[in-house]
Amino acid sequence: MKKPTILLIEDDELDIISVERSLKKLESEYVLHSAYNGIEALKMLRDNALGLIPDVILLDINMPRMNGIEFLKVIREDKNLKDLKVFIMTTSSEGDDRSEAEKLGISGYIIKPLNYTENTKRSDSMDAFVQFHLRKILLDENI
Amino acid sequence: MKLSTQILLAFTLIILLSVADSYTNYMLSKKVQRNSEFLAKSEEIIRNSNKTHKTIIEMQSAFRGYLLTDDRTFLHSYFQGIKIVPILIKEQELRLGNTNKQRAILDSINLLQTSWVKYSEELIQARTQKPVAYRKLFESSLKKHVGKKMNDAIAGKFSRFDKIEYKKRKYHTDMLLGSLKYAHTFSFIFLTLTVIVGVLSTIFIMYVTNRRINSMVRLAENISKGNFTIVEDTRNDELTQLATSLNSMSSKLDKNIHELKNRNAELNKFAYVVSHDLKAPIRGIHNVVSWIEEDHYNELSPKLRKYLEIIPQKTKRMEALINGLLDYARLNIKAPPQRINTNALVHEITDSIITRNISLQIDDLPDLYTERIKLEQVFANLISNAVKYTTQEGGKIKISCKIFPNLYEFSVKDNGIGIAREYHQKIFEIFQTLREQNEQESTGVGLAIVKKIIDDQQESIAVKSELGKGAEFIFTWRNN
Repeated sequence: MKKPTILLIEDDELDIISVERSLKKLESEYVLHSAYNGIEALKMLRDNALGLIPDVILLDINMPRMNGIEFLKVIREDKNLKDLKVFIMTTSSEGDDRSEAEKLGISGYIIKPLNYTENTKRSDSMDAFVQFHLRKILLDENI
Repeated sequence: MKLSTQILLAFTLIILLSVADSYTNYMLSKKVQRNSEFLAKSEEIIRNSNKTHKTIIEMQSAFRGYLLTDDRTFLHSYFQGIKIVPILIKEQELRLGNTNKQRAILDSINLLQTSWVKYSEELIQARTQKPVAYRKLFESSLKKHVGKKMNDAIAGKFSRFDKIEYKKRKYHTDMLLGSLKYAHTFSFIFLTLTVIVGVLSTIFIMYVTNRRINSMVRLAENISKGNFTIVEDTRNDELTQLATSLNSMSSKLDKNIHELKNRNAELNKFAYVVSHDLKAPIRGIHNVVSWIEEDHYNELSPKLRKYLEIIPQKTKRMEALINGLLDYARLNIKAPPQRINTNALVHEITDSIITRNISLQIDDLPDLYTERIKLEQVFANLISNAVKYTTQEGGKIKISCKIFPNLYEFSVKDNGIGIAREYHQKIFEIFQTLREQNEQESTGVGLAIVKKIIDDQQESIAVKSELGKGAEFIFTWRNN
């Protein structure tokens, strides 16, 4: 069976590592591709149109060159890419970003906590948080 | 035109009209007085004229009586007349003055009378002493009505004299009536004008000032409510100056407050962004440390493990400091007031903050109508402070409230380590903490937040404490 594919668009190396580690701890196996910004992600999606149509995209908002919102706008207008499943994963809790993203059609909006002490009750670390949400997304979306 | 000039003009006009009215009446009263003086004098002239005529007629009848009866008693009135008449005529001459028609008549009366007296004396003398001469005279003059003619002429002159006097009197009376009518008309006109000018100028000034003063009062009210409008006033007087000053004050205030709001918003955004961006690297450091510990713990030397353990302590403190700053920056956000069950609020706070064994006593607290977040932050910080500074065993916290009219006095009391008197003011300053730096929980922001909220709400807070004897924070909260 083909392994489900995940595209992570994120400029922070730490977050990429965190997602990689979290995925490794999950029960099934996944293929993870990562891009550092919207432009790079678009290039990847368009160049290998057949080879890389991810089952889900995890999208950060604050990124250099092309941010998450701009990326969303572009793919929603691209007839080959407009149906992609996108989850926002960001530290931005600004209401404007969220409402704009929701207007462009997203499957979920996850705010990564900056305060790990506040979340000690739920999970021990950033990894645990990411893992919890990834498992939920992949289960809910039946991937 | 200036408002004061307008008022001055109106009053001057009114005063001038009143003066004109008074002057008319004064002139009238003078005329009346002159007329009454004239009437009194005229009365005397007529009386004198009548008396003189009467005396002359009595002389004439006395003279005739004597001539007929030869009885000398008749002559008493005659001699009386001879004495009195010149005196009366003299008096009348003085009253009349020198040159007029009546004086001429009087002179001719005097002349006629003198000649009659001469004639009558001659006859009386003759009647007494010389019967022959008397007879001759009787024939020559008496029978020819010489005396009677003179008498008639005198009577005619008197009649003319009186007629002139009455005519003069009538003329004066007519004149007086005329000027009375004239004065009444003018007085009425002046009075009416005074009333009209007074009423009109009052209405005008009220109209000009009232509306404008009202609009300025409204402006002042608007300013006090924070709406910096302006008033339109295109006249050019003192009120316009006031309006201009008010307008410039309003726009200046508007500008300043606008600037202040902008700066506050900028500052808030700045604090938020800074805090937010500061947190990301801390999270990164924390992640890396946790990954090292997770994946490579066995490869680490004991010394390295010990050093590595210090990093999360420091990052946690850094995070607590940044959170404190964020909370402090968020204080400026305003929320609408709402009904608050203070009991429930305090229980919620204690449930989330108190994680260890502390004896907690919460009295029955009143319901309030206020901004929830502010009251919540005050209680949360005071309670968390009390928790921090009580000992692990036997800690006690008591929350109570005293109710005054429109004012509540809440108290959060603990039996912790207490605060020395010299620090009572200092504890409310930001980043002042009386503990060691590396104790991660105390950042020194909590009480600064409490103080800022209390100051912003124009409430007051005080601390009662001594070193080693616990602390009690008492703050007031108005119930709007």
